[in-house]
Amino acid sequence: MAHPAAATTQYNYDIIKKFAVMALVWGLLGMSAGTYIAAELAFPFLNFDIAEITFGRLRPVHTTLVIFGFGGSALFATSYYVVQRTSQARLASDMMANLTFWGWQLSVLVGVIGYMNGISEGKEYAEFPWYVDLLITVTWVLYFLVFVLTLRRRSQPHIYVANWFYLAFILATAILHIFRNLSVPVGLFNTTSYSLYSGVQDAMVQWWYGHNAVGFFLTAAFLGMMYYFVPKQAGRPIYSYRLSIIHFWALAFMYMWVGGHHLHWTALPDWTSSLAAAFSILLLLPSWGGMINGIMTLSGAWEKLRTDPIMLFLITSLSFYGMSTFEGPMMSLKSVNALSHYTDWTIGHVHSGALGWVAMISFGSFYHLIPRLWETRLYSVRLVYVHFWLATIGIVLYIASMWVSGIGQGLMLRAFDDYGNLAYTFIESVVFMHWPLVVRMIGGMFFVSGVVVMAFNVLMTVRMAKIEQAALEAKIAAKLAKAGV
Amino acid sequence: MAEQHQGKAVQTTGHAWDGDLQEFNNPLPRWWLWSFYATVLFAVIYWIWYPAWPVAKSFTKGIGTVTYQSGGKQVTTHWNTRAELIEEMQTGSETLKQQAYLEKISAASYDDIVNDPDMMAFTRSMAKVLFADNCAACHGVGGTPAQIGQYPNLRDDAWLWGGDINQIEQTILQGRNGYMPAFGEVLSDAQLDEVANYVLSLSGHSVDTAMADAGRAIFQGKQGGCYYCHTESGKGMASQGSANLTDAVWTVADVPGAADDAARVEVVKTVIRNGVHRQMPAWRGRLSNAQIKLLTVYLQSLGS
Repeated sequence: MAHPAAATTQYNYDIIKKFAVMALVWGLLGMSAGTYIAAELAFPFLNFDIAEITFGRLRPVHTTLVIFGFGGSALFATSYYVVQRTSQARLASDMMANLTFWGWQLSVLVGVIGYMNGISEGKEYAEFPWYVDLLITVTWVLYFLVFVLTLRRRSQPHIYVANWFYLAFILATAILHIFRNLSVPVGLFNTTSYSLYSGVQDAMVQWWYGHNAVGFFLTAAFLGMMYYFVPKQAGRPIYSYRLSIIHFWALAFMYMWVGGHHLHWTALPDWTSSLAAAFSILLLLPSWGGMINGIMTLSGAWEKLRTDPIMLFLITSLSFYGMSTFEGPMMSLKSVNALSHYTDWTIGHVHSGALGWVAMISFGSFYHLIPRLWETRLYSVRLVYVHFWLATIGIVLYIASMWVSGIGQGLMLRAFDDYGNLAYTFIESVVFMHWPLVVRMIGGMFFVSGVVVMAFNVLMTVRMAKIEQAALEAKIAAKLAKAGV
Repeated sequence: MAEQHQGKAVQTTGHAWDGDLQEFNNPLPRWWLWSFYATVLFAVIYWIWYPAWPVAKSFTKGIGTVTYQSGGKQVTTHWNTRAELIEEMQTGSETLKQQAYLEKISAASYDDIVNDPDMMAFTRSMAKVLFADNCAACHGVGGTPAQIGQYPNLRDDAWLWGGDINQIEQTILQGRNGYMPAFGEVLSDAQLDEVANYVLSLSGHSVDTAMADAGRAIFQGKQGGCYYCHTESGKGMASQGSANLTDAVWTVADVPGAADDAARVEVVKTVIRNGVHRQMPAWRGRLSNAQIKLLTVYLQSLGS
């Protein structure tokens, strides 16, 4: 730490820089796509009858760019950083790490271009066609190897908790990806393939995959990020080692059971859905274990929230994490689900996790990470505050409007009049949703503006670093020249 | 809690990573542990109550039950969503209210329904939703299409296929095929102009009388043969679904929206040149007989 110049040779920072930059690029594109389709839902003429930009095509573009493009690249970047620094070892193979970079970026790129042109497997969050699935599989195996081989090089016997979470994420994602995508291509030069599953089994496999993508990709992995960057930024030890063990194993064990709660009141057998609902309730406290460990790490140093905007990002993200992991188990109860399912409440819930937790913890971590990668300081701390408030206002508008829209529509669709007839038509519920949808769109615009501010700040930070570096080199050269004379 | 961390009350695990990364070894927060036990208790109760765990080729049924009537007998089964729906449809207070009305409506004649304010109130309540969820996609919210040229407006008292209650019922039950041949191949452009002028004259629009006279010959003669369907008076026939051309109601050509005489001729001409092909699907089997009955009464009340 005291010798940053040494760190760049001791560790492979180049790969981390590449992933970090791509996370921001994909994030900006993906969140803009999300805001655009939010606008389409409020003002349908915005699809201009162009197939490529209709909601159905752009929606997987949005989810793929933010989950795999932004989230995935952020996880590659931070996991490579954390595993190197906590093992005090350089990545096991620069070449393999580079292959994971190109394999991952190519997968995202080929995937989203295909979606806009109608090439999709139609499975939520697993829309990639079979050839991209294969590329992802190879990339992921390399990722696993780089990570594990680097861990094996560690200079101390204990593996830091952040690495447990990253490793669980890598392993679980491999299993999920492979089993969800088992299929037989129609032909070598054909983009379509037949899934191995059909009917209600396909639905069950889909949500086993879908919810564990949330559990391991969007939760466990980002907890790994949390376990490194929160104590680092706070300069304090993690609150409880015991709690980290308990909640790690509880999360890893319980998440696998809960996918069925996405299929309440469907053709799914009743026992499957109640099993999933009960496990979802069991997940509440293990999820909160991570939140407690993060927030309590700051106990005794609360004043940092007043002076350090990065801490503000990290702690706010943990608060949203706590809120959405409370909301999730509630929504997975059959009775609540009967109201919430198929409404915007679900969308609001997902985004309180995705924007509030996943994106905010990534922003906070990046603000810590970027200056260290480029051996400088942030161009503007003030802009970090600006980003924080833009993002927070955006999230609040988003979640609140989706509660109104979702709960409102849910109540309208189950209301009866004095004769025992449905009180509202479907279209009346759609008309009701218009203004909440407009507010949601505005919330999205706030959030995207925040990312634009961040991108600018990062760009200026990197430029500043390059100028400083050039000045330093000139100084050294001058000194050398002097010494030579 | 912060005080606990001061001094030596809480130890770190003694490991350090990346310079200053350490871990305290605080005990699990008491409230966290008890809340976790509470969720375990909740889950166990949930599993005891509902079907939950797979066992060999079956599953634990749970102690919750649902009771419903089947074939005159009372059936009690373990909790399941299908039985729950059956039970709800047999005993739910809203369902029972609706059911009573539907039985009354099924047994009643159209005259009985129309003359009974209570049955009419029920009809409006239920048919409004039926209409919006099934018919409004073509006929528009409330029965008025967004623009002329799509599908007939159901709020006026003009009926292509007849506004008698039995005719309306037939229309819904069987659907309708609205067809007028295209005359673009048969008539010259000048002749199309003439027929259009004549057609507009029937509803009292100012037209070129010389052209309208020529148009009348085509309309009423063999060359156009328009009178086969629209009749000599131009009032149309319900059996053919042919439009009455003498009223101010337009369902295909947007005459009211046309700016001037020339534009009016143009829109009518376009219809004659291209013909009309519209279809309404049959609703028998898609909606129950009682629902179709309700819609029939509702539509007639809309149109009058």
